[in-house]
Amino acid sequence: MNMDEKTLAFLKQTFREFYFKNSGKINAPIRMNEREFGCMSFDKVMIRHLSFQTEGELRVFLIKETPHSVYYSCAYYYEPTLTMDEKGWKGADLIFDIDADAIPTECKEEHDRWVCKDCNFMGKGKRPEKCPRCQSNRIDEDNWVCHSCLNVTKNEAIKLIDFLLEDFGISKEKIKVHFSGGRGYHVTVEGSTLEKLDQLARNEISDYISGMGLSLESLGISKGASYDDMRRSLPLANEPGWRGRIAEFFTKLEFEGYNEASKDIRDKILYVYGKMGYKSFEGFIKEIVNKLSVKIDVMVTTDIHRIFRLPNTLHGNTGMLKKECDDIISFDPLIDAVVLSEEPVKLFVDSAPKFTLKGNSFGPYNSEKVTLPLMASVYLMGKGLAKVIDHE
Amino acid sequence: MEIEFGLEDLAKYPFLKEAGDYVKELSLSIEDLRQDDYQPALKRAKDRVVEAIQKNSISTEIEEPNLEILSFPLALMLVKAIGIDYFMHRYSLAESVRAERLLEKEKKPIISHIFKSAFDVDLISIEHNVFDFKMNMVEYLLRATHFHKPEWKLVNRIVEKGFVYVKTHELVRLMREEIRKVVYERMKSLSLPKMPENVKEIIDEINKALPPVPSKELQEVTPGIFPPCVMHVLDLLQKGQNVPHFGRFLLTSYLLSIGKSVDDVINIYPRAPDFSERLTRYQVEHIAGMRGGRRQYKAPGCRTLITHGLCFKDEILCARIKNPLQFGRKPLELKKKKAKQKIGDEHG
Repeated sequence: MNMDEKTLAFLKQTFREFYFKNSGKINAPIRMNEREFGCMSFDKVMIRHLSFQTEGELRVFLIKETPHSVYYSCAYYYEPTLTMDEKGWKGADLIFDIDADAIPTECKEEHDRWVCKDCNFMGKGKRPEKCPRCQSNRIDEDNWVCHSCLNVTKNEAIKLIDFLLEDFGISKEKIKVHFSGGRGYHVTVEGSTLEKLDQLARNEISDYISGMGLSLESLGISKGASYDDMRRSLPLANEPGWRGRIAEFFTKLEFEGYNEASKDIRDKILYVYGKMGYKSFEGFIKEIVNKLSVKIDVMVTTDIHRIFRLPNTLHGNTGMLKKECDDIISFDPLIDAVVLSEEPVKLFVDSAPKFTLKGNSFGPYNSEKVTLPLMASVYLMGKGLAKVIDHE
Repeated sequence: MEIEFGLEDLAKYPFLKEAGDYVKELSLSIEDLRQDDYQPALKRAKDRVVEAIQKNSISTEIEEPNLEILSFPLALMLVKAIGIDYFMHRYSLAESVRAERLLEKEKKPIISHIFKSAFDVDLISIEHNVFDFKMNMVEYLLRATHFHKPEWKLVNRIVEKGFVYVKTHELVRLMREEIRKVVYERMKSLSLPKMPENVKEIIDEINKALPPVPSKELQEVTPGIFPPCVMHVLDLLQKGQNVPHFGRFLLTSYLLSIGKSVDDVINIYPRAPDFSERLTRYQVEHIAGMRGGRRQYKAPGCRTLITHGLCFKDEILCARIKNPLQFGRKPLELKKKKAKQKIGDEHG
């Protein structure tokens, strides 16, 4: 459903009122005048290379221009308003993006849908590469989130924080976790020496967190070596880093035939290796790494010029807030990041599965007129699934 | 424990600031180089340069520490006087290899002291059955990303609270690259005085002993429309620096894919320090599908290049491409598409 003028105007007005009432809550990011800002208007025109000197200036901009989305750079520049080549890169926050879309979960079969643009064939779950009916690869996705997949995503963020604290030694105060307002979490490290890391170094950081390229040799396993030699170089559970993580995993592993007679974890690892052989063991380690690693978007972390949604601003596709999680364990995005009111709105919904916001269930809907609270109306309109009918 | 470098140490590592201070204290002037007293130092400087440029190495023998220390800044001056960047790179590399050989046999406290003195990096000595030091992770990453073997990858290291465990010989390898840079930068920033006749003669002699500078093919084949990853490899070749294996694979497969001939591609390589025409031809023909499995290799994709640390993405020109071969294709159309895409989705 293409968005009509009336719906666009309604969304814009809703956002404007929100920014007007809440302008005091919009805070400047640290070192604001060294950052590039960007915004996208409701008619999807992207403007970049903006800069703000004061918090007030930023607040006025949001009320006056009322963009669909507002972004700020992770990078610090000498001249943020010039072109990319001329800006002069000083450094950048280290930012990780964890997105529910990237993590396979069973609930996606329930709430995600796709439709072939060529033959209108539809299906549930993750989109196929090609349409099974007409083989076209022009497929539209309609992805949703629920408590279940957002929880899985949150667990990844919690795993990531452990890496940042334990492996990288980053102090707790420098790590900020935000719900993105959409489908995932942004984890930001500000004001640390990691700021000066270039793209290559960030690639190493993201490979580390995602366990990419971890070799058996680094665990002390090598094809030609004797068992005695290998035993000496295998990891112990109290070791730091990946070696320790993997050894720790083995302490909890139940492996058929192993009697736990030895307290030394290296004996167990060697036993499993002996039973499996090199090739299978390699696959087994891959599985373990897959479990222990964090499903971050590697392209985001390595991009030292990227712009991110500004905290405490609305996500144009959902009407939810990019919100800092003070306590990630208890944070519930479908409650805590829902900030628009419950004022009733009449709208026509093209189609939507069942979804939950602020503890209320809505839908499913199929080509029908309904009256919904503002928060749910904007959620559907932002996704392009509903039109406003009448609103004073 | 506070350590001071002895004269022997400075002779081994003349690029250290302390060695520079030692020479400064002699308060030599360029005119002094006419005197007989300094002829042995000039001779050693000339030998350093010739050996470095011809054989890519410099002897580690130290007969007379004073002579060794003094000959280093003189050698820098001689190379600078030749006036060809290529030889400045070659010389810096040779000096760094010399230092590496000496450092391999060096004591732990001296290594740690050199790291602090030359690069302002604190190393923490540790008792471990495999590793000797731990090093700040940021300092490690800034250096280790230039190496491409899997053991240098952060994921294959022990990382604890922001520190990376390293062995002595690994530190030495990390330092070699730094030393090369230090030597090169020193040379680059040197301003040449008016040379006395006897020094001019030495420079002439060195000039006669220089190997020919390799062909200009490289510049001709570089019209500036290549993607940043390919440009990076070309740049390394141009500077006479070592190119990792995967970088060569990228360059070769890329150039063949855009229609360069096998001979064109081979002609690009003579500037590499370890060039062998026979081997290069074999490798290029292999990638072109003329040998071995008869399969023509396509240029590696962007994701693979990122993993190998060879991606130097251009924000705009590289947007939405997945393979360097797509670089530069209808950039305007790509830009338009980029503006239209739902950026909101991408940024969460």
